[in-house]
Amino acid sequence: MSLLRHPWTHRILGAALGAVFLYAAHDKVLDPRPLVTIIWGYRLLPPGPINPMAIYMPWLELLVGVAMLTGFKRRAAAMLTTGLLAMFTVALAINAVRGINVACGCFSTSAQDAQNAWLLVLRDLPMLAAAVILWLLPPREPRTQPERAA
Amino acid sequence: MRIIRDAALFVAATLVLGTAFNLAPGRHVEWWGHGIEPPAAGVDFQLIDPASADAMRLSLPTVVFIDTRPEPEVRAARVPGAVSLPLPEVDRLLTPELTHRLRNADAVVIYGAAEETDVEQLLAQQLRLRGMAPPWVLAGGFPAWEASGLEADRERSS
Repeated sequence: MSLLRHPWTHRILGAALGAVFLYAAHDKVLDPRPLVTIIWGYRLLPPGPINPMAIYMPWLELLVGVAMLTGFKRRAAAMLTTGLLAMFTVALAINAVRGINVACGCFSTSAQDAQNAWLLVLRDLPMLAAAVILWLLPPREPRTQPERAA
Repeated sequence: MRIIRDAALFVAATLVLGTAFNLAPGRHVEWWGHGIEPPAAGVDFQLIDPASADAMRLSLPTVVFIDTRPEPEVRAARVPGAVSLPLPEVDRLLTPELTHRLRNADAVVIYGAAEETDVEQLLAQQLRLRGMAPPWVLAGGFPAWEASGLEADRERSS
């Protein structure tokens, strides 16, 4: 447990997750239109909220990515990342149970990039675990030496 | 709770940035979805390979190629006579003259930069929803055209 609360564990996990989220957000921020098609492909949402999700979600990914990479408000970013990853994992798992291999829209904005949904769920789980650690197990404060009386 | 306040800050920044960038010229995505199905082959477009597209270009009188890549890439190299029409610019660049030209063409072929043709399929759907016949989408995009050794207009370096 002490290793999970070590400041360097948090720096490394934050940098790794942050880099993944920045990479994932890049294409979607530049052009969210193909993401509309990809979210549609999950067949989970009614048509209305698909568009706002495609407009705003990439920006949230970008901001939490920058925050985790730099350490700026990392716990709050990790809490939001946990929410995002939990949502992605549940959406993928539902389609995996349905037997549908969706284009996940994780790193590519191509709707033709369909992959095995169960493998995508398995790929999300370590990232979800890292986000939970960053959120719920804040790093230990460095010990300060007690001042000696002169 | 400080963490909740920080998270709300991220959400607020997301709303501001997302809204601002979606209001930028040529970037607008409808704020609320209207239930348009994803583009479907055979309904919104037909895929065509580069050799067949080139044969069609040489044998039919009016075949219009639409290039969805950014303007500098189009200027550098393109299918001979191709029209530049990036998807985000469709509302601005699809003038009545161009619409008339596309409606009266023997065939319209859309191509882009990537081997995946999602953007081209979305543009094909946009054209079909504007009352045009389903266009062709070039499988493999411009890289496949070039790899096939087919004719291309290239910018001359001075």
